[in-house]
Amino acid sequence: MSDNKTAGKAQEFKALSSKDKMRKVSDLLLNNAMYIIIVLAVIYISIEEPAFRKLPSIINVISLTAAKLPIALGIAGCIVLTGTDISAGRVVGLTACISASLLTTVFKVFPEMTSAPPILVVFLMVLAVGAVVGFVNGFSVAKFKLHPFIVTLSTQLIVYGLILIYLKNGTNNGQTLSGLSDGYRALVTGTLFTIQGVAVPRYVLYAVILTVIMWIIWNKTTFGKNMFAVGSNEEAANVSGVNVSRTIIMVFMLAGVMYAITGFLDGARIASANANTGLNYECDAIAACVIGGVSFVGGIGRISGIVVGVLLLQIIFAGLNFLSVDANMLYVIKGLIILIACAIDMRKYLVRK
Amino acid sequence: MRLSRKAMALAMASCMALSMTACGGGSTDTTTAAPAADATTAAESDTTEAAGEEQAAIDGEVSVFYYTYGDTYISSVRSALDAALDAAGVQYQDYDSNNSQTTQTEQVTTAIAKGTSLLVVNLVDSGSDDAARNIIDQASAQNIPVIFFNRSVSEEAVSSYDKCVFVGTDYEMAGHMQGEMIGQYLVENYDTIDLNGDGEISYVMFKGQEGNAEAIARTQYGVEDADAVLTEAGKPALSFYDDSNSNKYLVDQDGAWSAAAANNYMQTILSQYSEANNNMVELVIANNDEMAIGAVTALQNAGYNLEDGSATVIPVFGVDATDAAKEAIAKGTMTGTIKQDADGMANTISQITVNYMTGADTFADVDSENVVGTWRVNIPYGTYTGEE
Repeated sequence: MSDNKTAGKAQEFKALSSKDKMRKVSDLLLNNAMYIIIVLAVIYISIEEPAFRKLPSIINVISLTAAKLPIALGIAGCIVLTGTDISAGRVVGLTACISASLLTTVFKVFPEMTSAPPILVVFLMVLAVGAVVGFVNGFSVAKFKLHPFIVTLSTQLIVYGLILIYLKNGTNNGQTLSGLSDGYRALVTGTLFTIQGVAVPRYVLYAVILTVIMWIIWNKTTFGKNMFAVGSNEEAANVSGVNVSRTIIMVFMLAGVMYAITGFLDGARIASANANTGLNYECDAIAACVIGGVSFVGGIGRISGIVVGVLLLQIIFAGLNFLSVDANMLYVIKGLIILIACAIDMRKYLVRK
Repeated sequence: MRLSRKAMALAMASCMALSMTACGGGSTDTTTAAPAADATTAAESDTTEAAGEEQAAIDGEVSVFYYTYGDTYISSVRSALDAALDAAGVQYQDYDSNNSQTTQTEQVTTAIAKGTSLLVVNLVDSGSDDAARNIIDQASAQNIPVIFFNRSVSEEAVSSYDKCVFVGTDYEMAGHMQGEMIGQYLVENYDTIDLNGDGEISYVMFKGQEGNAEAIARTQYGVEDADAVLTEAGKPALSFYDDSNSNKYLVDQDGAWSAAAANNYMQTILSQYSEANNNMVELVIANNDEMAIGAVTALQNAGYNLEDGSATVIPVFGVDATDAAKEAIAKGTMTGTIKQDADGMANTISQITVNYMTGADTFADVDSENVVGTWRVNIPYGTYTGEE
């Protein structure tokens, strides 16, 4: 920034009355509360525990963030529509189980199979599964005018039932799926590149690609603009010619596809696909979105906010572990941070109104 | 403008509150004292902890991952292990994996990034080798030793890394012992237990989790071994109370081995099966004490297994010998359990930890009778029916 501009701004600021000055400062603080908190948290943790700002730790936080990003990016769309999606975790579980059962060396779910299908085929298959669940969610919300909470509660249970049935198939007998093929694991957890001996896993790249795609969808497409229109005022959107039902269905389908990608990645990343995989994933994803300023009020949210929200949660997760905080207190602190973050964020909108 | 001033005050207050909680968290010492231990042991561990820090007996920090803090037996291992590590002067940090392999794997990655010198892992997902391998790969890349405990990891996985051992129990043993105990108890009290006098004992089996090796073995041997004892004594084998259930067990759908799941099942069973209908369930077998206690509570609500001894007692068997179960056995509301030695397990883990960190032989000062090959240590079980 040039000095002239800064000076100009300062002069402008001086010219304001004291009331307005106060408002300017408070607006500035409120609008950037999340960034301020992140910076404070990082500084504090780094002073207490210098290893936190070392490279292995930074890569660790980045990979954790990358792993949690796709599901958050998906669920954010549902929140923009003033809804939610609590079936997300179970869809992750189902798609992780499908991926792990096919891309394996021991075909327990399908004993008649002898070799794994191409990875791309399996990937497209799980995307389709995610999209189908998303379609059911979106269709029920749009056509039957049901609240997304109750719709996704139902699909959550249905999908869980499907996971249990699926895992009972063949000779698997409800067991955790094991013996993942090397190609699948390498594709997800393989090394993207190495900085000073610290390996960055490949799924970081995938998360970056997904973030860019979602940014384009949200900001540069008609569908994205329609989504925000429906989210802020469904009636108005309808009157101005937006196909509301189609938009809602598309948002949920897109979300389902993002959960499927999360499931596909997590199947190899955690290497433990069973009936518990994905349980409660949606909780962290929703928390991250709301922390990142995707408001339950509807029609408000930015991709950058979601990234910041996910990052903040992972910094808290890693940071509190670095500070050796008693595990019992972790839950309390995490809860408090989410509550405070959301209160600050909500305050921002209340002030405006 | 009043509103915005308030808003700013709120924001500042929130930031302060946040930094305060962070400070509060930071001041918690790495070596937290055993929370569940009674006053005397807590005091002891406090003093030894202080001494340990001053001497800095052993360099480096150990990371201990528990599959969940919510498990009663694991909590007693945690108390015992905290005390044992304090006594040995080892710095450690406990992690709660909250029954999620995802959380645990991420905690391990974070601990390694922090520079931990040893991992003690109570694996969440014991149904697959891949989760264990994942952790072993990460540890071996940094040359950090790994001690798995409690939840089984296969020999193949453990042996794949020379600085890896498993401390556990012979997981099939608990099922065998439970089955034998049940068989003997039934033979001794056959006619009292056979409420409807049809010559067969109808039972229900509560399984803790699908896909868990321990749960599978306990579910199988708990019945098989009891049947073996019964057949030897010339009695018919046990019959599952519900003919249409081909699994012959009811499983906690959340895989949490929880009292709530067993309680829900038992309550539902009792609404359908009763002495009045002449089809009462005459025996309850559970994979662990939590589930056994859950079943006892449901039985009590239906007027059985009362503490004053006035009602019919349906024998309930568990595994773990938790404090709650011992109390229930003393009151006569539960019949028997299998004792896992939490102290023995904790002391063995602590000993191996010290051996690794001081560069001594891995199994130095560990009871050699319990050592299996170069990869595992078995902590023996015992039966518990009230008399210690």
